[in-house]
Amino acid sequence: MLELRHVFKSFSDRGRVMPVLHDIQTTIEDGQLVCIVGPSGCGKSTLLRIMMGLAPPTSGEILYHGSPLAGVNLRAAMVFQSFALLPWLTVQSNVELGLKARGLTGALAQQRANFYLDKVGLDGYEEAYPSELSGGMKQRAGIARALAVEPDLLFMDEPFAGLDALTSANLREEVLTLWSDRALPVHTVVMVTHIIEEAVLMADRVLVMAQQPGRIAADLDVSLERPRNKRDPGFDALVDSIFEKIV
Amino acid sequence: MPVNRPSSRGWTVVLVALLLAAATLFQGPRALQMARAVVYSEPGFADLPGAAAWSLMRMTVSYLASLAFAWLVGYQAATNPRAARVLLPLLDVGQSVPVLGFFPAAIFLFVTLLGGGRIGFELAAIFLIFTSQSWNLAFGVYEGLSTIPLETRAATESLGLRGPLLWRTLYLPACVPSLVYNSILSWANGWYFLIASEIIVSGPVHYDLPGLGSVMSQAFARGDLRLAIGAILVLTTLVLAIEFVVWRPLRAWSMRFRYDTQGSGEGEEAMLRLPDLGLPALMRAARTAVRALWAHAPARRGASRVASATARSLARGARALRWPLAAASVVLLAAISAMGVWAMVRALRPPWPPEAASVPLALLLSFLRINAAYVLALLWTIPVTLWAYEHPRGTRALTVVAQVGASLPATAFFPVLVALLVDRYGGMEMISIALALTGMQWYLLFNLLAGVQRVPNDLRESLRSLGLSRPAIWRRLVLPACMPSLVTGSVVAWGGTWNALILSEYVAYRDRVYEVVGVGALINRATFKTGNRALLFLSLAALVITVVAFNRLVWDRVYRHVNARYRMEG
Repeated sequence: MLELRHVFKSFSDRGRVMPVLHDIQTTIEDGQLVCIVGPSGCGKSTLLRIMMGLAPPTSGEILYHGSPLAGVNLRAAMVFQSFALLPWLTVQSNVELGLKARGLTGALAQQRANFYLDKVGLDGYEEAYPSELSGGMKQRAGIARALAVEPDLLFMDEPFAGLDALTSANLREEVLTLWSDRALPVHTVVMVTHIIEEAVLMADRVLVMAQQPGRIAADLDVSLERPRNKRDPGFDALVDSIFEKIV
Repeated sequence: MPVNRPSSRGWTVVLVALLLAAATLFQGPRALQMARAVVYSEPGFADLPGAAAWSLMRMTVSYLASLAFAWLVGYQAATNPRAARVLLPLLDVGQSVPVLGFFPAAIFLFVTLLGGGRIGFELAAIFLIFTSQSWNLAFGVYEGLSTIPLETRAATESLGLRGPLLWRTLYLPACVPSLVYNSILSWANGWYFLIASEIIVSGPVHYDLPGLGSVMSQAFARGDLRLAIGAILVLTTLVLAIEFVVWRPLRAWSMRFRYDTQGSGEGEEAMLRLPDLGLPALMRAARTAVRALWAHAPARRGASRVASATARSLARGARALRWPLAAASVVLLAAISAMGVWAMVRALRPPWPPEAASVPLALLLSFLRINAAYVLALLWTIPVTLWAYEHPRGTRALTVVAQVGASLPATAFFPVLVALLVDRYGGMEMISIALALTGMQWYLLFNLLAGVQRVPNDLRESLRSLGLSRPAIWRRLVLPACMPSLVTGSVVAWGGTWNALILSEYVAYRDRVYEVVGVGALINRATFKTGNRALLFLSLAALVITVVAFNRLVWDRVYRHVNARYRMEG
């Protein structure tokens, strides 16, 4: 579905060129939940933004269904660590934003937004402003906003990192439920995280990144049975082997 | 709200030089001669409402023009790094240059362009107010746009928002808090310069420009105290009414557009607690009504289609015209600069007028006068601030007093002070220091009070538990903690007072001119009395260079040092 060919990215800072991503080569298959793990500063968020089309690679190609990606991929959507809700719009209007950008307005947009707000459990909070919500509820709104455009591909950039441990565990379970819900259109998810356990709990496949420059150090399939648990046999061994590859 | 000021010195020097060069183009004795031809009628009480309406009209027009300017410039500066490198120093210089000194130049320009009628004077006055309002607003737009969090920008982009929808949902709302905050400052600034311009044209020059400022100064000049006080009352009512009906509700409403909703400062809370006269509720009802009407309007679909088509073709036109326009403006600017430089060279050709030798002394005396006013202002504001620290309840009332004091144009009280002090208590010297003081004190008090409210309470309690006496706590905690706000307030206060020099050193009262030796008096005399182009230019240049150099060499450093050393974390 999404193919990256020899992707390089570097930033220039006051004349000095800083390499961020080095020769990234990978394919995201349809229906997979892929987690990208790596230490902070390894370029995993940059990689996600390049996949989304928010930032162009310095060199290399990104193919979406076989054709090169130019600009933001409107068949995809993204969830952010800081939630990135507009504080001056209600939850409902925030969720409708992407729909309006796609020319969908009025009752249809409202209906669609309500459906996804219901799915993430924000039923009854349509008229609330983001500032009135807890962190977990804000991220639910962020997820509803991304789902509402009914993307083929969902990107999540450390979606649970800004939440407390209990909330993030709950929301993680719910995202898994949403992902396996055949009624929802999105079955392909790419998620960035720095917590190895989180990746092993959720992913079909883990891309392990190393830093300086950022590159893919390992590409592992996770075949543990779902629903998974931290006490499952083989869980710790997998976590340990990923940890070794990062260090 | 301190803005990150750029410090590209090269540009500053170039811009100051160009500004001065352009100013010489329009300076001349002809402004004076045209003035004498106008005869105006003596104003009475019946003229007050009309005068108020005229003053308000000038304010509104120039505010709207400033707003348009601010969006053009602020958007360019925030989105185009190459434009920002030129625009930000330009805004910085524009903000710190004493614009009042250029007023005679502005009159001359507009009168030359449009003839000696009312429209020329009106535009000159509006232009003057514009120059006092626009820099602030442009910084407001720039700040609003450049502080949008990266992830929020990425989010709107990933959702595919573009064009008008992006403006409506991201750019405009993101600028609301800083734009409203800066609008309040700009509006207060505007009153100050409006009154100043009206006093100048009705004072030494005798133009006919109906307005509260001119009524006031003419009444004082005649000795008609009742009419003068009436004018001041009308002005005060007008300023306060707009403050309470427009700005306060707007400020409270603008809080919704901030990214962080938790850490709102005490000062803002105090503002929110003030009466807003139920306007937000009214506005909500009105908005719902308009929205309902709009939803039922049959022409809605067509109208929106037409609007978007217009927007699209406008954008296309702007894109096509971009390079020709840029080239034309560069050519125009180059031509004006060349003419300005040439005029400057011509004006500065010896022999210089004998008065030119007095410029350094005049500058020094003006500087000392501002220092005296500054010390006087500190002498009463610091004790009041310390009192406020010990009486938190009193602080809120004092903050309101300081806000109201700062929003009333100090220039309006110039004629009062002159009438009270002329020929008494040291005469004109005293008057000019007192006039400088009226412009300075409120900014200092306002900022000091904001600073004192930010002193963390647990620090005070820890010092008290260590057994420090009250004066020791003041010295070790309160005063150092107030330093950043004191410096911010001082920069604004000094900027305002350089401007006030133009009014405060040269006063026409009861058909007599009172003046002291100072650079403001020199500028006035050169414009209104002798019409000496070289002298006018020399004094203006000396003043502008001193102000810009003083800001760069003294205040910038003090600001950086104080913020590095005394800023409270968190």
